[in-house]
Amino acid sequence: MNRSLAIAVSLVAAAPLFAQDARQIVAESQKRARANSQRYEGVLEVVGAGNKISKKSWVSDRIGAFGNSKVIIRFTAPADVKGVALLVVNHPDRASDQWMWTPAINRERRIALQDRSTRFFATDFSFEDLEERDVDQFDYKLLGEEAVDGAACWKIEARPRESKSSQYTLTRIFIRKDNYVPVQYESYIKDQVVRRLHETDIANVQGIWTARTLEMTDLRRNSRTILRFEKLQYNVPMKEDDFTVQALRREQ
Amino acid sequence: MILLRLISLPYLRKHRLRSLLTIVGIALGVALLVGMYTANDSVLHSFSDTVDRIAGKSQLQVNAGDAGFPEEVLERVQSVPEVRAAAPVIEAEVETGIKGQGKLLIVAVDMTGDQTLRDYDFDNQDADAIDDPLVFLAQPDSLILTRDFADRNHIRSGDKITFDTVEGPRQFTVRGLLKAGGMAQAFGGNLAIMDIYAAQHVLGRGRRFDRIDIGLREGVSVEQGEAAIQKAVGPGLTVEPPSGRTKNFESLLGVYTIAIKVSSVSALGIGMFIIFNAFSIAVTQRRSEIGILRALGATRRQIRTLFLAESAVAGLIGSLAGVALGMAFSHALTLATGQMMSQIFGVRQNVQHADIDPRLLVVSVFVGILTSMLAAWIPARNAARVEPVQALQKGRYQVLSAGESRARLMAACSSAAIAIACLLYGHSRPLFYVGFGCAMLGALLFVPYLSQALVRLLRFPLRWFRPVEGALAADSLLQAPRRTSATVAALVLSLALVVGQGGMARGSMISIEEWVNNTLNPDLFVATSENLGARDFHFPASMETDLAAVPGVAEVQAVRSVRMQYRGLPMLVVGVEWGKVARRTKRVVVAGNGPEMDRLTAAGQGVIVAENLAALLKLKLGDTFELNAPAETIRLPIVGIIRDLSNQLGTVFIDRSLFIRSFADDSIDVLRVYSAPGVVPENLRQAIVERLGKQRHLFVLLNADIRKFVNDIMDQWFGMTYLQVLVAVSVAVLGIVNTLTVSITDRRRELGVLRAVGGLRHQIRNTVWLEALTIGAIGLILGLATGVVNLFYEMQVVTVDLTGIPLGFHFPYSIALVLLPVILGAALGSAILPAETAVRGSLVEALEYE
Repeated sequence: MNRSLAIAVSLVAAAPLFAQDARQIVAESQKRARANSQRYEGVLEVVGAGNKISKKSWVSDRIGAFGNSKVIIRFTAPADVKGVALLVVNHPDRASDQWMWTPAINRERRIALQDRSTRFFATDFSFEDLEERDVDQFDYKLLGEEAVDGAACWKIEARPRESKSSQYTLTRIFIRKDNYVPVQYESYIKDQVVRRLHETDIANVQGIWTARTLEMTDLRRNSRTILRFEKLQYNVPMKEDDFTVQALRREQ
Repeated sequence: MILLRLISLPYLRKHRLRSLLTIVGIALGVALLVGMYTANDSVLHSFSDTVDRIAGKSQLQVNAGDAGFPEEVLERVQSVPEVRAAAPVIEAEVETGIKGQGKLLIVAVDMTGDQTLRDYDFDNQDADAIDDPLVFLAQPDSLILTRDFADRNHIRSGDKITFDTVEGPRQFTVRGLLKAGGMAQAFGGNLAIMDIYAAQHVLGRGRRFDRIDIGLREGVSVEQGEAAIQKAVGPGLTVEPPSGRTKNFESLLGVYTIAIKVSSVSALGIGMFIIFNAFSIAVTQRRSEIGILRALGATRRQIRTLFLAESAVAGLIGSLAGVALGMAFSHALTLATGQMMSQIFGVRQNVQHADIDPRLLVVSVFVGILTSMLAAWIPARNAARVEPVQALQKGRYQVLSAGESRARLMAACSSAAIAIACLLYGHSRPLFYVGFGCAMLGALLFVPYLSQALVRLLRFPLRWFRPVEGALAADSLLQAPRRTSATVAALVLSLALVVGQGGMARGSMISIEEWVNNTLNPDLFVATSENLGARDFHFPASMETDLAAVPGVAEVQAVRSVRMQYRGLPMLVVGVEWGKVARRTKRVVVAGNGPEMDRLTAAGQGVIVAENLAALLKLKLGDTFELNAPAETIRLPIVGIIRDLSNQLGTVFIDRSLFIRSFADDSIDVLRVYSAPGVVPENLRQAIVERLGKQRHLFVLLNADIRKFVNDIMDQWFGMTYLQVLVAVSVAVLGIVNTLTVSITDRRRELGVLRAVGGLRHQIRNTVWLEALTIGAIGLILGLATGVVNLFYEMQVVTVDLTGIPLGFHFPYSIALVLLPVILGAALGSAILPAETAVRGSLVEALEYE
C-alpha cells in the first residue's frame, strides 16, 4: 500500500478512537467523583471592582449520582441572608429545576429556565453554573494536552447538544491526567471566553480526589468569586424527601 | 399687501379696541382648544409612556384587566415554545407621605431574571449597585428607587422610606438607585422596584400576579406568539402588546374626549360670530371707502381678498395669542385632568406637566385662521358686491334688504321644518344629528327676526322706565338690525351651550343622588384606600368575618370589583353577596322581575346588568351574557336590568360566590357595613378602627364621607364644563362690547345733536346703558329658549351614543338664575366705556361727524 495512503487510512481509523477517548475521559472523571451523597460548609468570597469583598457562608447537601442529583444550599451567614435556600434538581436529559426559598416571606420561587444565565446572587457563578453536567448532554473533542498549575492535563472541548439549553457555545475542560480531577473550565460565548473556573487545593477525601477551592472569574466584569469547601464529607446518610420543595418550607 | 397697508391698517389703528376685541374672540376659542387637547393628550401620553418604559423589551403581555390571575399561569406561559422570556409583574400606587411628592409607583418583579426583559441602568457602572442582590431578595423591605426621586427627597442607598401597606405604614430600605433615563423616567420618576413575592405579601395580593411580560424567541412574530400563548392560557386572559393597555385607557377617556371636542368647537363657533359681527360692521362702515376703491378700478375679487386677508391677519394674531394663553393654563388643566382620571377610574398615571405637541399648536393656529376667514366670508362677499354709487349713500346699509330678509326667513323655516321632520320621522342616528344641526341653525337664523320682535316688545317698558332714553335705545337697536342680531346670535349660542351643559350636569347630579340614596346606603364603608376607585390593595376574605365580629355591626357585605374589556367597553364586574344587598337596598328595575332576578343572581344562576351597559351594547333580558374570566367562563342569562351608575360605561353584577370561582380570587375591595339599631355610626367607626386598625391598613368612611366623595368627583368632572361655560360667556360679552362701541361711533353725530339741544350727559349714558341691557335681555331670553332645544338634543346624544345613562330633562334653573344678573351685569359693564366715549367727546367734532 502506498505509504501516504496508509497513514491517511490509519488516521481516519483512529479518529473515532480519539473522540471516544474525550468522552471516556470525562466519563471517567465523573465516575471517580461519584458518591451517594456529599455535604460541605461553603465559604463564598466575592471580590468585586475595587477589590471590595463580600462574604457569605452556606451548607450544601447533595444526594444522587452525578448529573442526576439533588442539591440543597442553605445560607448560614450573614444574618440578612440566613435561611435563604436553593434547591437544584439535576436531570440527565434536560436542564435542571431550581427553586429558591425566602424565609422572611415564607415563599419559594421557581428560577425560570430563561433566567439561568443571570448571576447567582451577585457572584460570578450563573445559575446554570450550579447545574451538574451529565456526560451525555455534550459532544466532546480532545484538543490535546496542556499543563495547569504544573500538572499535565487533557484539554477537552465540550459543546452542548441541542437538548441542552445553555448560555455557552462551548466549554474547554482541563482534566488532570494523574487523578482525573477537572482543574479548569473555560466557558465561551461564541468565540470569547467569558468565565474561567479554576479548581485548586486538591485533596483525597474519603478516597475521592476533590478540589476544595473553586475560583470563578468573570472575564467580562473582571471580578472573581472564591468558594472554599470546609468540612467536606461524602456518603453522609440523607433522605430523598429532604430534597423537595416541601422540605425547603419545613427547614426554617 | 399694498391695500392691507394703505387701507386696512389705518382702519384697524383707528378702531383699536374693536380690533382687539375681535382678536380676543378668536384667542379664547383657540386657547380652549389648545388647553383642553393638551391636557387630554398629556394624560394619555403620561400613561402610555409609563406603560412603554416599564414594558421594556416585552413584546406581549398577559393580563386579566385589573383582576389579576393565579401564579400558576406563569408556568403555562413559560412552557410555550415561542416564548423566550416571561416575567411576572405586580404594580401598585402607594402614598409616600412625603409632602409635594405625590404617589410612588411600585413595580414588583422577580429580580432573579427580570433583566432579560428590562434594562436596569444602575447608578454606577457596576451592575452590583444593588448593594447585595441576595439581601435584596431575602429581605422583603428592599426597594430600588430612581436617582431622580432619591435626589428630590435627599435619600441615599441604605436610607429608609415609609409607605402604607396592607398592614399599615411600614419602613422599607433603599438598596439601590436607578439612573435617570429609560424605565426610571416612568411615572414621572416616582418609581420603585420591589421583589414580586415581597410585594404580594405587603400589598395583600395572595398568590397572584397582575400581568406577565413576554419576550418572544427570535424569528417568532408577535401574531404567532400571541396565538400560541392565548392557546396556552385560555380565553379568560388577554394576550396583547403593551400598547393594548394604552388603547384601553383611551376608551376610558372616550367620553371625556368627546366632551372637550364639542366644547372646543363650540367656543370657536362663538368666536366665529364675533368675527362675523365685527366684519359685518366693518363692511357697512367702510362702504364709502369700498365704493371709492371700486370706482378707482379695484375689482370685486380684490375687495373680497382684502377683507379675507384682514380676517386672516386677525385670525393669525388671535390664534397666536390663543396658543400662548392655552399653553399658559394647560399645565393646571393637565394636572386637574390627571387627578380626575385617577380618582374616577383608578388609572395609574402621574402626569406632572403639560406635554405640548408642536403639531397641535400649528393646527390650532391654522384652525383659528380658517375660522376667522370662514366667519368673514359672507361680509367679504357682501363687500365685494357693493356698487360704487350705492356705497356713497348713507343710512341705508343697516337695514336688511327685503330679498336678504326673505332668503334668511326661508332658510330658517326650512331648517326648522327639517329638524321637526327628523325628530318625528327619523329613526336613524345620522338623521338625528341632521335634525340637531338644523334645529340649532334654524334657531340662529331666526335670531334677527325674534330680536327685532323682542325689541319692539321691550320698547314699551323701556319708554315707561325712561321715556327719552328708553325710546332712543330701542330705536337704535331697531335701526341696526345687522349689528344687533349678530351680537345676540353669539350670546344665544353661548347661552345655549351653557344651558345644555348645565342641564346635563343637573340631570346627572339628580340621577346620581337618586342612585346614591338607593344603593350607597350602608352606614359605613371599610376600604383599603380613601379613593374608592383605587384597587391596589385588597383585604383578605377573612376581613368580612373579622368585621362582623365587631360589636355593633349588624351586617357586613363584601364587594370585589374589577374592570375588564368587554366587547370594546371598559366594563366593571362587581362581585357582591347579592342576597344581602337585595334585602337592604332599593334598586330601580328597568327590566325583569325584582324578587326573581334577586333569587337567581344570589344563586349564581343569572347576572344583572346596568341599564347603561344594556343600552350601549343592545343587551336585553334573557340574553346570554358570556364573559371569559381568568379561571372559568361565565355563561349565564341576563335576569335583570337595573339603573346603576357605578361605572360610566356599564356594570355587570354577579354573586360573590360566582366571582370567587370565576376569578379564583376571594379578596375584598370594600366592605359595606350596617350598624345595629341604636348604634351611632361614628362610634362604630371608632370601634372598628380600634379593633382592626392596628394590624391592618384600612379606611373607615361614614356614609356622608362617601356622598362627599361622589360629589367631589362630580365637581371635578363638571369643573371642566364650568370652565367652558366661562369661556363661552366671556366671548359673548366681548360681542356686546364690540357692538356698543360701533354703535356709539356710528351715532356720534346723533348723540352730538342730542347734547347740543340740551341732552344731559347722564341721559346719554342711560341711553347707552339701556341699549346694552336690552341686548343682554334679548340674548338671555332667546339663549335660554335655544338652550332648552340644545339640552334636549344633548341628552339624547349622551344617553344613546355616549354612556347609555338616561338623564331626565332638568332645566338648570339655578344656572339660569345666576346667568340673569351675570349677563345683564356684564352687558351693563361692557357699556361703561362706550358710554363714557359718547359723553366725553368734543361736541363740535361730533356734529361734524359723517
